[in-house]
Order: sequence, then structure tokens, then C-alpha cells
Amino acid sequence: MTHRPYTPWLFLAPGLAVCLLFVIFPFLNMIVLAFTDASALGGGEFTGVDNFVRMAQDPKFWAAARNSLLYMAGVVPPLVLLPLLIAMLAQKIVPGIGIFRTAFFTPVIASTVVVGLIWTWLLDSRGLVNNLVEALGGSRIGFLTDSTLLLISSMVVTIWRGLGYYMVIYLAALANVPKDLHEAAMVDGAGPVRRFWSVTVPSIRPTMVLVAALSAVNGFRVFSEIYLLSGGSGGPGGASTTLVMLIQSVGRGLTGEVGYASALSIVLFVILLGLLLVTLKLNRREDRL
Amino acid sequence: MKRRTFLAGLAAVPVAGCGLSGTSNTAAGGNGQVTGEITFQTWSLKPKYTDYVNGVVDAFQKQHQGTSVKWVDQPADGYLAKVMADASAGSLPDVINVPPDLSFPLAKAGQLVNLDESLRDAKAEYLQNAWQAFEIPGKGGCYGFPWYLNTGPIFYNKALFSQAGLDPDKPPTNFKELEEQALKLAAKKIAILGQTPSIADFGLYGVKLFENDKFTFNEPKGVEFVESYKRMYDAGALIPEALTQNYTGAGAKFMAQQTALNPGSAYDLGKFKTDAPSLYANIGITTPITNTGSANMFLHGVSVPKSSKNQATALAFGRFVTNAENQVKFAKLASIFPSTSKGGDDPYFTTEDGTDEARVRVAAAKQLKTAVNYTPVQFSDQMREALLQQLADAMLGKKSPKQALDDAVAECNRLLK
Repeated sequence: MTHRPYTPWLFLAPGLAVCLLFVIFPFLNMIVLAFTDASALGGGEFTGVDNFVRMAQDPKFWAAARNSLLYMAGVVPPLVLLPLLIAMLAQKIVPGIGIFRTAFFTPVIASTVVVGLIWTWLLDSRGLVNNLVEALGGSRIGFLTDSTLLLISSMVVTIWRGLGYYMVIYLAALANVPKDLHEAAMVDGAGPVRRFWSVTVPSIRPTMVLVAALSAVNGFRVFSEIYLLSGGSGGPGGASTTLVMLIQSVGRGLTGEVGYASALSIVLFVILLGLLLVTLKLNRREDRL
Repeated sequence: MKRRTFLAGLAAVPVAGCGLSGTSNTAAGGNGQVTGEITFQTWSLKPKYTDYVNGVVDAFQKQHQGTSVKWVDQPADGYLAKVMADASAGSLPDVINVPPDLSFPLAKAGQLVNLDESLRDAKAEYLQNAWQAFEIPGKGGCYGFPWYLNTGPIFYNKALFSQAGLDPDKPPTNFKELEEQALKLAAKKIAILGQTPSIADFGLYGVKLFENDKFTFNEPKGVEFVESYKRMYDAGALIPEALTQNYTGAGAKFMAQQTALNPGSAYDLGKFKTDAPSLYANIGITTPITNTGSANMFLHGVSVPKSSKNQATALAFGRFVTNAENQVKFAKLASIFPSTSKGGDDPYFTTEDGTDEARVRVAAAKQLKTAVNYTPVQFSDQMREALLQQLADAMLGKKSPKQALDDAVAECNRLLK
């Protein structure tokens, strides 16, 4: 067998070409555009750091960044813990467990738009939930018309959709926890709660960190849930707009401010990169301990 | 959003018949030979109007031997993105279906052919208000052949009006009556409206929207209008979703009988009949609520980009598609109206046959003669969003109506630059 030095590149070429064309080039283009006043129809002129100065003074940016952070803080803890508990239940081999596993996983494969419509019907001022509340003697709740409740409602949808996905990740991790550890703990008299904290959690901690990182990134980048539940408006007065929604709103259409939207995208990228680096560092520290 | 609904509605109307003759009186446009291949892009006309458009294309090719028209239909979702991508790349199709607010940024960027220069005699063939809709205000030039038009009657729920003790045969005709009746309905816990006012509603109220290259809807009349809405909102005359609602959402609320009144189009009547029969049984139809005497008009057109390599053929085809004969045929298939000066004279638009559909159609056709496209062509999607957000803040009492309008106007003027 003769080794041709270019052979590996031939295999890599299609993937690299796609990556260059659809990831690297647009990314570099975005960086360039962020320093211009480009619109959808024009290349724009170099404006230095004007877009970033404008961002610092733009109350919409700060409100959107705050909403994205709140969103992340609201969805990460439930998405780290709830799927783990569900995975521990779904892990049991009992008759009909497949139905439960499927039921929990269904929201993951459901179309986002369909999910949004279903939840809109449920939470609308005349929706199922409000009709129930009224029938029980309460007054209607503005799940979709109050900016705070809209954020919380969207978080519930994100958590509901994420349960099945993270459950599958946890199921794989739980399958790798050695049974003898549990048996040894039982012999030593440890109950289910003690075994959960002292055996299960330490064994799957890297997976928990991974789930936290993934859900944090997805939470910070949230778009579909709020967009669909608010009918694309970002809530009354746009008060529930998140960072990704703001980017879409600023940059869309023929009159979109592509330069400013690119600058916002860079800031989003830097924040997400920071989040991932922190997670990576935490994970390494855990490994060393 | 209104644009989308209008089109979605158009796409949903069943085709009653098709087939066109191969004759036309269209003259060739622009300089140069009408020959060669062009691409014609439409907005969500397949599959309902496939036969109609193919018929128009065949007729044009027959009339102009040596031409070939490639028809491309784009779905409504993502249409704007598609136009944007093509415009950025300088590869717009030769003839493109665009409403005025989409033609404006393209024309402003110098990407569309000025019909006033290329086809000086074309203007007379169209309704003047429709032609003006494709002009750049203050700068002259027309950048699109007006195509199909629509205007809305107002639909109202007679049963809900009766429930509130109102005369179901006397719906509001102006904004003063609207508020009076809205407050009476609200006292019985019935909401009248499903959305806050659009920029066109400000126009219908009589507010000056745009003057001397600036938005001006924060003038005292505009503030008075928002104050009226604030009183209605506080009384519960608007549903809570009104603060975030778009046109489609408000229509759905009216169909679900959660609101008592909604602007619509001739197409909506058929939708009520099939999708909301209990509403249809109580439906009231009236003229648009206006303080100016003129209804609002929605329209679409076809433009020819300067980048077209076959401009003469593209212009001739654009004029052919939008000529009186082709427009009338199209209007008879869908619940729309022709934008040509002679199209509206067809008995189909002037004679009633006793059905509700014909009544709405004849009334709308009559309305269109004086209708105005109130939405300034400069009013972009971002501006619409800014107005919606500021109005929501005004309704919630976070800002005074004056402050909210000042902020909305400031943002719109910033976006103009």
C-alpha cells in the first residue's frame, strides 16, 4: 500500500467545502458587516464601532439580554433535574415502560410550530387553562398577554420539550452506573435517597454538566417558543423580546439593519462562547477532583 | 401582516374556471425587441391559480412569437427573504410580484425600472390611486404595474350587538360611533376589537401620516385617536391579545365570536360560511369605518428590475399580465378587484344577484373608486412593529398616548434614513 499524502484531504474535501461555504465564510462576513451600516440591499460603509456604541445605549438590547439571561436561569435547573428523575423512573424494566418513554420523547420530535400552536390554544385568554380557571371560580390569567407570564409560559414549553431529549441522555448515563456500587451501598444500609446522592449523582456528574451546558446555550438562544406564543410580537410592547428575537427583528426584510444585527450576533456569539468555556472549565475541575 | 393575509386568502379561493383566449391588446413596452426568455415570479398563486397564470403566459407567448416566459411561484412564507436574497445578489427575476411597501426599498435602492420613463402611456390604463401607490412620494416615478386590489367591508356580529342592547342594523360608520358602541358592548363584557390600530387606521381617522419626508402621525389628531383607543381598552372593549395581535390573529378571534367587529375582505365571507356557520348566521356587513369618506385599499403589483437582461420583454409582459382583460378574468376567479381604469366597469362588479357575496363584491368595487392606500410605502415591517409596541405601552398606561406616538414617530423617522 502506498500512502498518498493528499488522500485524507480528498475525504475531507466535501465536508470542508460545505463548512467553509456555509459556516466559516458567513461568520467572517458577519464580523465585517458588524462594523458597517449595511442594509439588506447595500454593502454599507465602514462605521467603526458605532454599532457597538449604539448597542450599549439601546434599551432594547439590554432588555433583550436580560430576558435571555432570565430565560436561561429559569430553564437550566429544571432541565438538569427533571429529566434525571424521569430517566430514573423510565429506566425500570416494567411492562408498558416503552409507552412512557415514547410519551416523554414525543414533544422532542413534534414540530415546533405545532407545539407553539397547541400551547397558544391552551394558554390563550379564552383557552383551555383559563376556561378551567374561570370554571373553578378564578379570574382569567394573562399567560400570553403579560410580559412576565409570557416569559414563564415560554420557559414551561421549553422545559416540556426538553424533558424527553435530556431523559435519553440521562438514560444512557444511568446505564453506565455500575450496579455493584448500588448493591454495596444497599448492603451498607443506604436508602434510595442516600444512594441517589452518593452513588447516582457522582457517577453521572459529567452528564449533568453536559446537560446544563446544552440547556443553557439553548435557553439563551431561545426564539421559537416566545415568537410563537407572542404571535411574533415579543409580548406587549415587545417587553419579552429575547436577544435572538431582537436580531431577527432588526435584521429582517429589505429594510433590515444588517450591520447592527451582525453586531448583535457577535455579542450573542461571545456570550455563548463564554458560557461554554465556563462549563468546560467546571467539567475539567470535576474530573480532577 | 395584512399583506400576508390578503395573499393567503387569495391563495385559498377555489378556482371556478380557467383558460384564457390567446388575444390581447397589449402593446410592447420600452425600447428594444420583445423577444427572448424572461422569468416571472409570483407570490403564492400555485396551485389554485396555476391554470390561470399558465393561460396568461401562453397567450403572451402566442402574441409575441419568439418569447418564452418561465413562471416561478414562491410560497407566501419566506417570500420576503427570497426577494431579499435575490435583490442582494442582483439576480431578481425579470418580472416580480410585489406590493408597494416591498417595491419601495427596491426602487429606493435603484433596482427597479421607472415606468413613468419607460412606458409613458401606461399610466392612463390604471386607476390613478393604484398607480400612485407605486410612486415614491415627493420624488416621482412609478415602479410597478398595479395588479390586483382589495378593500374591505366591515363585518360585525349582529347577535353580540343585540346582546348589548345595540341596534344590529346600525353599526358604527365613523370612529366616534365606534367608541360609543364599543363602550356599550364592553359594559356587557363583550369586546368589539381584536387589535390596536394599524397605520392605515390612523389614515382612516384622518391623521396626517407622512409629510415633508417625515412621519407625522403624532400630530394632535393622532393623539386624540390613541386616547380613544385607550378609553376603549380600559373599558375592556379590546381583547387582552389586542396588544400583540396581528391581523390574522384578530380575524381568528372574530371567527371564534370573541370580538364583535372586524375589518375583512370579500374572501372572508366564504370563509365564515364554511368555517364558522354560527357566525355566518349572524353576520352583519357594513362599509369601512372612516372619518375621511375613503376606504382603505390593499394592492399588489408587478415590477421589472433594472437587472433584467430582457427589459423590453419584461415590461411588455408586466403590462400584459395587468391589462384589463387579464385582470377581470383573474378577479372573477378570486375575491379581488382589477386595478385598471376600465376593469371595474364589468357587470360582474356592478350588478347584484341577491347573494351576500355579490352584495359585498359590488359594494367593495364601488368603494375602490375612491379608496386610498393609506399605508405609506415607506412604512416598513420594523416601523409596524415599533408602532405596535408603543401602542401597547400606551394602552397599558406605561406611557401617555402623546409620548408613545412621539416615540413611535421618532423610531420610524430613524428607520427612514
